[in-house]
Amino acid sequence: MVDLSVRVGTVELKNPVMLASGTCGFGRELSEYLDFSKIGGICSKGLTLLPREGNPGCRAAETSSGMLNSVGLQNPGLAAFLNKELPFMQGLGTKVIVNVAGHCTEDYQKMVERLGTPECAADALELNLSCPNVKEGCMTIGATAEGVYALLRAVRGLTDKPLWVKLTPNVTSITETALAAQEAGGDAVVLINTLMGMAIDIKTRRPVLQNNTGGLSGPAVKPVAIRMISECFRVLTIPIVGVGGIMNASDVIEFMLAGAAAVEVGTASLLHPAICAKIVDELQIYGDDNKIDRISALTGDLRLW
Amino acid sequence: MEYEAGLVDKKMLGKENALLTFACESIARKALPGQFVNLSCRYFLKRPLGICSVDEAAGTFSVGVREVGAGTRDILQARVGDVFSVLGPLGNGFSFDGVSKIITVGGGTGIYPLIFALRKANALGIPSICVNGFRSRDDSFLLSDCEKIAGKAIFSTDAGDFGVKGNVIDALMFLSDDEIKGSTVFAVGPEIMMIKVSEWAAQHGLSCQVSLEKRMACGIGICLVCVCKVRSSEEGVPFHHVRCCKEGPVMNASEVVW
Repeated sequence: MVDLSVRVGTVELKNPVMLASGTCGFGRELSEYLDFSKIGGICSKGLTLLPREGNPGCRAAETSSGMLNSVGLQNPGLAAFLNKELPFMQGLGTKVIVNVAGHCTEDYQKMVERLGTPECAADALELNLSCPNVKEGCMTIGATAEGVYALLRAVRGLTDKPLWVKLTPNVTSITETALAAQEAGGDAVVLINTLMGMAIDIKTRRPVLQNNTGGLSGPAVKPVAIRMISECFRVLTIPIVGVGGIMNASDVIEFMLAGAAAVEVGTASLLHPAICAKIVDELQIYGDDNKIDRISALTGDLRLW
Repeated sequence: MEYEAGLVDKKMLGKENALLTFACESIARKALPGQFVNLSCRYFLKRPLGICSVDEAAGTFSVGVREVGAGTRDILQARVGDVFSVLGPLGNGFSFDGVSKIITVGGGTGIYPLIFALRKANALGIPSICVNGFRSRDDSFLLSDCEKIAGKAIFSTDAGDFGVKGNVIDALMFLSDDEIKGSTVFAVGPEIMMIKVSEWAAQHGLSCQVSLEKRMACGIGICLVCVCKVRSSEEGVPFHHVRCCKEGPVMNASEVVW
C-alpha cells in the first residue's frame, strides 16, 4: 500500500492534502461534511489582530472554471480565535496551520509572538503576504522581494514554529519573492494565492464586485500555479506547498510532480464540502495502481523538455 | 450532506418559471420552510434555490426556478432523469415560535418558499393570508395553489391587468384591521419590497421575518461571500456582517441593516 505521508520541513502530514485558508473557516461548518482525521491538515481563515468585518457589497463573481472573491479578510480577530476556534481545530485530528495576516509589520510581529509560543497548538504559521483584497498589508508587502524579506526578518526571531510564507502570483518574478522568503528564514513557501481580476456587469457598466477587483481562484488558475511551483522548485531548497485550483487526485499528482511537497485544496471545497477526503482516497488508489511506495517520491519528479 | 438527486418532475409555469421536483429522501425529511438547496448546473458554482415543497412519503422536494441568468437557464433546460449534485437543506428557515397567524408577502418568485410556509401554517392550524405581487397577468403563477392553501389570497400586478394595480403594499391596504392584528409577516422578494413590507409591518406593530438573497458560492458558511448587515449590540459598532447562507437567509427584519 502506498505511503501517503509527507513532510513540509519539520511538519509531518499523514497525507499531502490540506484545506486551504479562506475556504474552510476554522473547520466547524465542514465538520458536518468531512472527516478531518482523513486529511493532512487545515489552514485557518486569514486572521488579523483585531476583528474585521471585511469588504462591503457583492463579494463574489463566477468566472469560467473559477470565481472571483473580495471577502477582505472578514475574521473574528486573534483573541476570539485563541479562545474559541483554536481549541476546536485542535480536536479535529489533523495538523493545524494558522494563517496570519496584518496591516503592517507590527501586526505580524504581535500575532507571531502570540501564536508562536510552544504552548500554542498551531503546528505551523502561514504568513499571508498575498491577500489581494485589503488596502494595507498582505499583498502590498508580498508584492516585492524586499517586502517579503523585511517582513520575514522582522518575525523570524519571534518563534521557533515553522513559518510558511504564502506568496502572491501577482508579481513579475515569483522566484525572486520565493528566494527572499527562503533567505530571510522562511521554512516553506505556499504557492499560490489568488490572481487579481475584475468582472463587469454589462447592464450596469460597473464591476460586479463592490471592491472593483477580486482574487481569481479555481481550476482557471491551476496552470499558473503549476508553472510557478516548477520555477521555484528549481531554485529553492525549502519545501513548497502547492495550491491553486486542485479538484482531484490527478491535480495533486501534477502539483507534486511540479515540486510541491504537499498541497492545499481551496475553491473545490466550496463546491463539494467533502472533496478533500475523496481526493485522499483517490490518491491511495492511484498510488496502489501505479505501484508507488511513497507518494513523497513524486515531489519534483518532473522531466522538462 | 451532498446528495445526488434525480429530477423526477418538471412543470413549466409560464415562459420563465418552472417547478422542479427532485428525488432525495433526506432533504424531503429534513427541509423546513425558508431553507434552500444549492444545486449544481453546468457552470462552476452551484445555484441556491428556495425549497417550495416536500413530499416525505414520496421522498421528493421541489424548487421553483426563474431564469435570471445562464445558470438558472441551464437548470430550466434539465430533463426528467437528469441527476444533480445537491447540498441541503441549508440555512435557517421561518420561525413559527409564538406565531398565531401569518401574512405572507411575496414578490414574483418569493412565492416559492412562501408556499412552503403557508403549507406548514396549515399543518400547524395557523390561519394565513397570502399576498403576492407579479409584473403582469402573463408573469403570474401558482395562483390557484395560493388560493387553495392560504385562508385568503390577494394578488397585485405592476401592469394592473390582474388583481390590485400596483405593488404588494397597495395590496396590503385591502386587509382589514382584524386581519392584520396579531399577525406575523413573512416577506420574500426584491430587497426594496422587503424594506417596504418591513416598514409596513413595523407601522402596524407586527413582527416581520424576511428572506435575504445575496450572491452565494458555497451555501454552507465557509466562503463568506454572501454576507448581509445586521445591527450590532456593541457600542460604536454600526453593524456586523453575517452570512446570508448560514445565519440567514431568513432574518428578523428588525435586525437587518438594509
